[in-house]
Amino acid sequence: MSRILGPARSRRSTRRSVLTVVAVLVALVWAFPVYWMLNSAFLDKVTLQSSTPTFLPFGGSLDNFATVFGDAGFVRALGISLAVTLVTVAAAIVIAFLGALAISRFRFRGRRSFILALLLIQMLPAEGLFIAQYKMMSSVGLLNNVLGLALLYTAAVVPFTVWMLRGFVAGVPVELEEAAMVDGLSRTKAFLRITFPLLAPGLVASGVYAFLQAWNEFTVALVVMTEEQSRTLPLWLRGFVQASATRETDWGQVMAASTVVAVPVIVFFLVVQGRMSNGLVGGAVKG
Amino acid sequence: MKKTLGLAVATTTAALVLTACGGGATGSTTDPSAGASGNADKSITLWLAGTDTPKELRTYLQDTFKAKTGATLKIEEQSWGDLVTKLTTSLPDPKNTPDVTEIGNTQSPTFTNVGAFSDVSDMYQELGGSKLLQSFVDVGSVDGKQYALPYYFGSRYMFARKDVWQEAGVAAPKTLDEFNAAVKTITTKNPRSIKNFSGFFLGGQDWRNGVSWIFANGGELAKQENGQWVSTLADPNTVKGLTQLQDLYKNASKAPADAKDQTPWLYVNDADEILDESGNVTGKTSLAAATIMAPGWAHWSIGDLVEKDGKKVREWNDKKFSAFVLPGNDGKPAPVFAGGSNIAISKASQNQALSKELLKIIFSADYQKKLGGAGLGPANTDYVSSLGDDQFAKALIDSATSSKLTPAAPGWATVESKMIMEEFFSKIRDASDLTALAQEYDAKITPLLNLK
Amino acid sequence: MTSTATAPPETAPAPEPTPPARPARRHTPAWLVLPSLVLLVAALGYPVGWQVVTSFQHFGMMQQFGQPPEWVGLSNYATLVTDPELWVIVGRSIAFCIVCALSTVAIGLGLALLMGAVTRAGRLVLQVALLLAWAMPVVASMTVWTWIVNWRNGLLNWALERVGVDAQGHNWLVEPLSFLVVAAVIVVWMSVPFVALSIYAGLTQLSPEVLEAAEIDGAGGWKRLRHIILPLVAPVISIVLLLQLIWDLRVFTQIKLLQDAGGVANETHLLGTFIYQLGTGAGDFGMASAVSIVMLLLTVAISWYYVRSLMKEES
Repeated sequence: MSRILGPARSRRSTRRSVLTVVAVLVALVWAFPVYWMLNSAFLDKVTLQSSTPTFLPFGGSLDNFATVFGDAGFVRALGISLAVTLVTVAAAIVIAFLGALAISRFRFRGRRSFILALLLIQMLPAEGLFIAQYKMMSSVGLLNNVLGLALLYTAAVVPFTVWMLRGFVAGVPVELEEAAMVDGLSRTKAFLRITFPLLAPGLVASGVYAFLQAWNEFTVALVVMTEEQSRTLPLWLRGFVQASATRETDWGQVMAASTVVAVPVIVFFLVVQGRMSNGLVGGAVKG
Repeated sequence: MKKTLGLAVATTTAALVLTACGGGATGSTTDPSAGASGNADKSITLWLAGTDTPKELRTYLQDTFKAKTGATLKIEEQSWGDLVTKLTTSLPDPKNTPDVTEIGNTQSPTFTNVGAFSDVSDMYQELGGSKLLQSFVDVGSVDGKQYALPYYFGSRYMFARKDVWQEAGVAAPKTLDEFNAAVKTITTKNPRSIKNFSGFFLGGQDWRNGVSWIFANGGELAKQENGQWVSTLADPNTVKGLTQLQDLYKNASKAPADAKDQTPWLYVNDADEILDESGNVTGKTSLAAATIMAPGWAHWSIGDLVEKDGKKVREWNDKKFSAFVLPGNDGKPAPVFAGGSNIAISKASQNQALSKELLKIIFSADYQKKLGGAGLGPANTDYVSSLGDDQFAKALIDSATSSKLTPAAPGWATVESKMIMEEFFSKIRDASDLTALAQEYDAKITPLLNLK
Repeated sequence: MTSTATAPPETAPAPEPTPPARPARRHTPAWLVLPSLVLLVAALGYPVGWQVVTSFQHFGMMQQFGQPPEWVGLSNYATLVTDPELWVIVGRSIAFCIVCALSTVAIGLGLALLMGAVTRAGRLVLQVALLLAWAMPVVASMTVWTWIVNWRNGLLNWALERVGVDAQGHNWLVEPLSFLVVAAVIVVWMSVPFVALSIYAGLTQLSPEVLEAAEIDGAGGWKRLRHIILPLVAPVISIVLLLQLIWDLRVFTQIKLLQDAGGVANETHLLGTFIYQLGTGAGDFGMASAVSIVMLLLTVAISWYYVRSLMKEES
């Protein structure tokens, strides 16, 4: 946000510092469970059961992580999850973006029905669909197939993503493009140079959402990826939790596995966050 | 139900006949136990639930199967909680069904009754016949024909703090009545003055452990009358058990009303080195019970906290802890819920003959003994001695002799999924009229027991 | 240039362009929408159709294993609608979703504004924290939360004891109301990051010139918020609120895992776990499908006013 020089400045800086402290506190509180997961990942299962919480894992070990990385299924599941998720994100963003463009920039017959359909689809609970989804995928031979699963995920994510992107596209005034066109740019160029960068935050948010949905989804993956070697990470993680009817769950290992599962998402966000640095109007209207 | 079974039997017979005649796409045309040549490019899939079957046993199965039939055995591990979902979608699908699958004994009646499994009655004698655990055979049978056979059994028994029992001046019980009285005394005496200390920790919703009191008094959860299953909670013997349970809930157990049967060993262990600032041991210790009931494998999690190789583990201490079988009032152990699973061949499997070969290997003496060696009760009672002879193996075997399973009603799995028994048990403590409460729940359960 | 840039605020919410229609562009929207349509029909057409059809049938485990399903018309619906238990669950679910959605959006908005008002470092810290919470696998977060509220060795009781409240052994899950409050806290905790990040993204689209102008005019912070910022991000807010309502009505995993940890399941059911219990649990897929359809209708009913105003806005 911009700054205005003058006597108001010092008041603003103090306010800003105070609010920053508040923000950091909120961040700490909000991320507490994450810290707890990380903390537990270094502890063994017996310590975790004690009445007194252990706040800092001194005397902990990397054993749980060793078990996780040493698990034969882990690397394979990681690969599959990455593949499915990246395909889903790419496909969903592209398809949804086109749809969002259509809805917000054009008037066409059936537009309202399309919007309504998108909304209605999201209201249908997914818990009851897995039987039919299995039958469908089995009949076209797309079980245990990365693209098959990505197809289902993309379809699940697109309605919402269209909605979201529509809001962002709508938030960018057409006049900006038209101003650029007055300057001699073609419509497409104007769109790419002016509007598109402004949509970057929206695309990032949608991308992260799609990533998370695909990365953490469980039920559909459970029925569609039936073979052990086509398991996604959530299925693999489930294996850790539900290991045995004759042994107790090793929660330290589960936490280590969960930490590992969560890492790629963070990486994805940080990478994308860097790319979209300045979607600021200021840059677009300069000169 | 009869109609489906008729259909199932007819289909299976037809399939078997076709296979025998060497025609059709089902099964192999060569003798499956011929070895190498005919089956080299064939493979069958076995679904095992969880990590219970250890790696050595799995490798043994794969190696032996290959040697015997020339075909490959693929083993896929499924997690317990999702096994039913996956079986529901995959079993009916001939292209993707597992050929042989492990299945929990609670779910066996449901899947057996809907015709998910192949009829293996013709192999029953060969695989062990009456030497197999009959209660497990029952949940996998319909109309006298066997479909799902026992795979392994577990059991549950009592773990107690010997030291606390001694401090309370109570002797080891020899009958159920003595047990009930003993744990009430311990709770009253509370020798270590621990807040909310239970002589016997029994969760308010813990029906799987609590049901032993019903069984021990001759009661049942459900029985078959004229081909239809009815819930029998309100039968006089069951109510006798319920009354004892109410007594225990009021006077012996301070467990929360919503506790089920998860991780009970936490309550009987001492806490680890917890000290507050002044080094006092306050009321916040782990020790919250003098006695718990748990599956046999829980003994790995009970004991003193020691450090071995830099890791914290629990080590059993005979001076502090004891393991014993819940005694009945008739000189025999009280019937408890057996754990364990069954194993069955999928009816939609395209490899019926090879699957039967796998079953033969599983029920062979070698494999059965290996199961025992791994701490899993073998299905064939001839081999239970392979479980060992330490106090835990003994307790396992003894408590398993009179163990029972959930009713073999096809709809019992539904009752469990609706958590009706949990709900029922949570109301026992405060019920003023147990018979009326039982009748209320009989009315809820009976309609669900029979498949429609 | 600048003059055009300051004009938009009044017209931004109603972005209908009036470009000169060139023949080629009449077909453009069709091409843009086609991929979505093809995808949705391919992936959802059969499953949704199956569900609708099955809701009118008696479809249980027998039918899953080969017996032909029996048409029973509206019988499943009739059984449902006359079951008092269903309406209790519906009421509970609606209350739960409204409380959660409103809290989530309010907190999310607050955090988004906070993000806008702090230094870059502070903003990044907050965003990363929120993202971590959002990215955490549900299994892990539910495990941590159930540990926190565990009656015996939970962090919450331990902390309360430390500040002098007698909370030893307090069971937070056994009473249905307490259970649902815990569930609400968890659901809000999980949902806020997305809302906050989305609203913040919407805020960054605002032209600083507008805000500057407002500041020069002497509009105080609060007034600025209400009269300038809020209306501009209203589209984003209204969308996320609607979506939260829809999602919180469907919430399943968190409730199921919490029920596994404690509480009496049949007193704490919401629609999601109820459908699951009917379907996967009891194998009564016909009934489960009927409940799903009922839930769809219910969601439409709740958001009807909202949906209608959105649709109106579209024309």
